[in-house]
Amino acid sequence: MTTSTALPPAPPGPRPKKQVPHNVKTSRRAAWIFAPSLLVSFLFVYVFIGITVYISLSNWKIGTSPNLTLRQPFGGTYAEIVQEQRFQADIRNVVIFTIIFLVLAILGGLIAALFIHHVSVGKGLFRTVFLLPYALSFIVTGVAWRWIFAPSTGVNEILRSMGIENPPGWTTDTTILGALNHPSGTDFLKVQFGIPVALLPIIFAAAWQLVGFAMAMYLAGLASIPEEHLEAANVDGANVWQRLRYIVLPQLWPSTITCFVLLLHVALKIFDLVVAMSGSGPGFVTDVPGIYIYNYLTSRYDKASAMAIILLLLTLVVIVPYLVRGYRKERKA
Amino acid sequence: MRAPNKLRISLVATAAASLIAVTGCSANAPAGSSTGGGSDKLEITSWWTSGSEADALNVLIDGVKKSSPGLSVDNAAVSGGGGANARQALAARLQAGSPPDAWQVHPAGQLKSYVDGGQVADLTDLWTEGNWASQMPKDVAEAQQVDGKYYTVPIGVHRGNVLWTNPSVLAKANVRIDAAAGVDGLISSLKQVQASGTTPVCLGDKDIFASAQLLESLIMSRAGADNWTKLFTDEYSFNAPEVKQALEDYKAILALANKDHSAITWDEAAKKMADGDCAVNLMGDWAYGELLNAGKKPGQDFAWVSFPGKEDIFDYVGDGFSIPANNIPHAEAARTWLKTLMDPKIQTEFAAKKGSIPAVTSADISGLSAYQQEAAKSLASGAVVSSLAHAQAAGAEFAQTYADAVSTFNGSSNIDAFIASMTQAQKTQL
Repeated sequence: MTTSTALPPAPPGPRPKKQVPHNVKTSRRAAWIFAPSLLVSFLFVYVFIGITVYISLSNWKIGTSPNLTLRQPFGGTYAEIVQEQRFQADIRNVVIFTIIFLVLAILGGLIAALFIHHVSVGKGLFRTVFLLPYALSFIVTGVAWRWIFAPSTGVNEILRSMGIENPPGWTTDTTILGALNHPSGTDFLKVQFGIPVALLPIIFAAAWQLVGFAMAMYLAGLASIPEEHLEAANVDGANVWQRLRYIVLPQLWPSTITCFVLLLHVALKIFDLVVAMSGSGPGFVTDVPGIYIYNYLTSRYDKASAMAIILLLLTLVVIVPYLVRGYRKERKA
Repeated sequence: MRAPNKLRISLVATAAASLIAVTGCSANAPAGSSTGGGSDKLEITSWWTSGSEADALNVLIDGVKKSSPGLSVDNAAVSGGGGANARQALAARLQAGSPPDAWQVHPAGQLKSYVDGGQVADLTDLWTEGNWASQMPKDVAEAQQVDGKYYTVPIGVHRGNVLWTNPSVLAKANVRIDAAAGVDGLISSLKQVQASGTTPVCLGDKDIFASAQLLESLIMSRAGADNWTKLFTDEYSFNAPEVKQALEDYKAILALANKDHSAITWDEAAKKMADGDCAVNLMGDWAYGELLNAGKKPGQDFAWVSFPGKEDIFDYVGDGFSIPANNIPHAEAARTWLKTLMDPKIQTEFAAKKGSIPAVTSADISGLSAYQQEAAKSLASGAVVSSLAHAQAAGAEFAQTYADAVSTFNGSSNIDAFIASMTQAQKTQL
């Protein structure tokens, strides 16, 4: 990138051609420059993932006393945890959490960005207001949200003063919306699949906190849309909705994808916000894999590791198609 | 555009100021630890960080400083999660081979996981040298052992199954709670309180141990002390009719408790009880110190009764310290620390602050509170059993399975599912 100053400014829109001429000398230099970071990431990411996989297949139970013999039958820990009510609840919760959270945060961010982009007064103020929550830690906001959604105080006080006698129990509600099954407790499926009502306040709090992040991504995207495109659409008689639908949104697609991927990992690894707001909840209605791992770290290292690997696989299911798509595009270009 | 600029500048200034404040605070912590040098140091970890706990810990620190002048003590306490956070931090240090000189531990089950890992030092020589076993109740001494060897030193004894009551709420409902009336008597009293228009039970199980402790108290009362202990050697089954009955009782009591119990913590529930929001609250006697700190008067704002049952069972939750087997940084100071803990005077002073009772029977309890004197009597005469909710009756894995089963039960009220997972655990995890 140091040579970019010597080159003419890159044209907007289509991907620029290779900027640095490739030869043996530069590629060897690049290898040397990258070697330390590659080594570090190889060691601290891939080797450690490998170790975690191994531990999840071993008999290592108590965190402080390693036992590296392989468990018989092979993969027994995975067979054990998939039968657990807690595990099944965690998978349900993290999937529901991720879907609703992504929709709320991305839509909220888009609306906030469009609003700020078009408003003429107090742009900086609004931007700061929306971005500020993102600067706080989940523990801090979680404690505040816990009191807001406390059934006996908080927002329920307002509801009661408005004459609502039985306000919602928020995170204490064990109802599952749109339940797909009715488990007896001894079958393989031990949880009701559906949307746990108790998760909704937590999802809302998480979305509130990350709307600012999505907004920032979209603001950058909006700034890169060439004014001429909108002017041309105007001349052709497109109304506001048509301009949004056919000009703005398609050009914001890269921002949406980036938001999606970056927010996805926030959702999958959510831990601190849930711990602060509700803990595991009755019947694990608000439990997530992060809390599971934390609880079992000292008593069942193999189980905690297996859950970590399952969490990794969940991430890969979404990220790998995205990466493959990215590589294909790059090759085409 | 001036206004936003100003705003930005002020924001940056605020951020910078808070950053300085934060780094300033964290810079203070290690500063204390780096003073003093050489061998005159002792680092201890615990999860005693709340007001009364920290005061009690300071009694011990002052005591060890008195017996070896010039010693600098590094208090590396970690707060939160009923000790879970501190144990995580300790596990990381043990794995890295840089343990503290001594750490807080619950005896029996929790101790066993450190013994299995070969991380705690055998203290049998200290015990025989001081003839400590003869100075405490047999059950308490036994809990400090694993396979006949001593690995920890008890500083105090907590009771897990105390029913804290609000005298004025009970008087209003015209109800008396009598420990001898058993669980049936308790439940009918609670129903009477409900009829008077007050929530009978305060429960705060955001951290699940509070529920786990309520259920274990019910199982103890229904099954008796002997059977309770046999649950952890698989000589008595979780499928027994008494355990089923206890689960029915638990279900009934949950229905009589505040609806928001999963959203509040144990200390909030105890204070709600003392405020008159409900009649009773089951909690260990660490609630006593918490209520005193909240300005509540014993006997007036709150009273207590042993958890109702057919016999007087003392649900033992122990506080003690162990020292590492390997890589101990200051071995001599650590042994001095342990000897200090066994000083009867120190035990009395510690108990006064912490709300627990001394483990050593020769400690003078005449200056302690009415509650503590009563508990000390129960400890001497009652049946002493270990708590499962605090990972003392069994190892960490079994205790975690129990906690998970209670969480599941709180959502589903499914007795069969609870029994199935616990009997399975009895077969595979003991």
